[in-house]
Amino acid sequence: MHKLLTIDDSKTIRLILARAFKEYDCALIEAANGEEGLKAAAEQKPDIIILDITMPNMDGIEMLTRLRATGDKTPVIMLTAEGGANSVEKAQHLGISDYIAKPFQNDAIVGKVQKVIPLAKKAA
Amino acid sequence: MPTPLSEELFKECIEHAVQKVFQTMLQKDAVPVPGESPLPPSEAWTPPPDLAGAVAIGSVGFAGDISGLVFLYLSENLANIIVSGMLGMSHEEVAEAGREVSSDVIGELANMTVGTFKNRIQDLGYPCKLTIPTVVWGTSVSISPPKGAVRRTYIFKVENLSMVADLIFKED
Repeated sequence: MHKLLTIDDSKTIRLILARAFKEYDCALIEAANGEEGLKAAAEQKPDIIILDITMPNMDGIEMLTRLRATGDKTPVIMLTAEGGANSVEKAQHLGISDYIAKPFQNDAIVGKVQKVIPLAKKAA
Repeated sequence: MPTPLSEELFKECIEHAVQKVFQTMLQKDAVPVPGESPLPPSEAWTPPPDLAGAVAIGSVGFAGDISGLVFLYLSENLANIIVSGMLGMSHEEVAEAGREVSSDVIGELANMTVGTFKNRIQDLGYPCKLTIPTVVWGTSVSISPPKGAVRRTYIFKVENLSMVADLIFKED
């Protein structure tokens, strides 16, 4: 089963993502900021990370910088309201697979994840 | 060279942001109230009657070449509709989940709205970054802008309930 790590300080976003992927054969792991995200990435070895930028304690850009510095190449999709060219450019230099600006539709994020990992629907 | 920020441009950016968020996340229309929005610039404004009671106020700031805050004022009824729609909960489940869950949803609604607004302003040549959302609940809440700040207040109707977007900013 694929593991998806969602890192967002908003519980709302984590709940929306849990609903979006409910029908799919995957396990969701949650983290509320970059620090928790780094820890979860090291311990849980997710197949993909869905990462916000603006978060308390450690933001998404710093988390991604630290993650890549450890040699971790886990695919990352940025999901953020921070659509500034500067932030997106920084994230692209750190090797993100894709980027979605909030607000978003569930189909869009599921589609982006499916482009990176072969996510199938749960058997009925 | 940044594009000069006219009143018309602010109105267009805030209306685009509010409508995009409500349409994408809730499949609902947020309609600017003709003739009333924006309110004439002033230090104080009178809330629409359905915002005179308990309200939720979600706010997110932006800081950079232009800095400011956007406050979204919602009645408790509208807040419940939004929470129910965004999380796929019944109204009973929303009541059971409590204020903590509702505050998180309103904070995210403000984050998405101000983010969409800020990204458009940024594309016009004013780089800036978002802050973390804040949500407060209360009655008779009023916000006074700091001296020298510009205030623009926009009123929307969502399912016949009022929502106010109050924008306070300063250009550097």
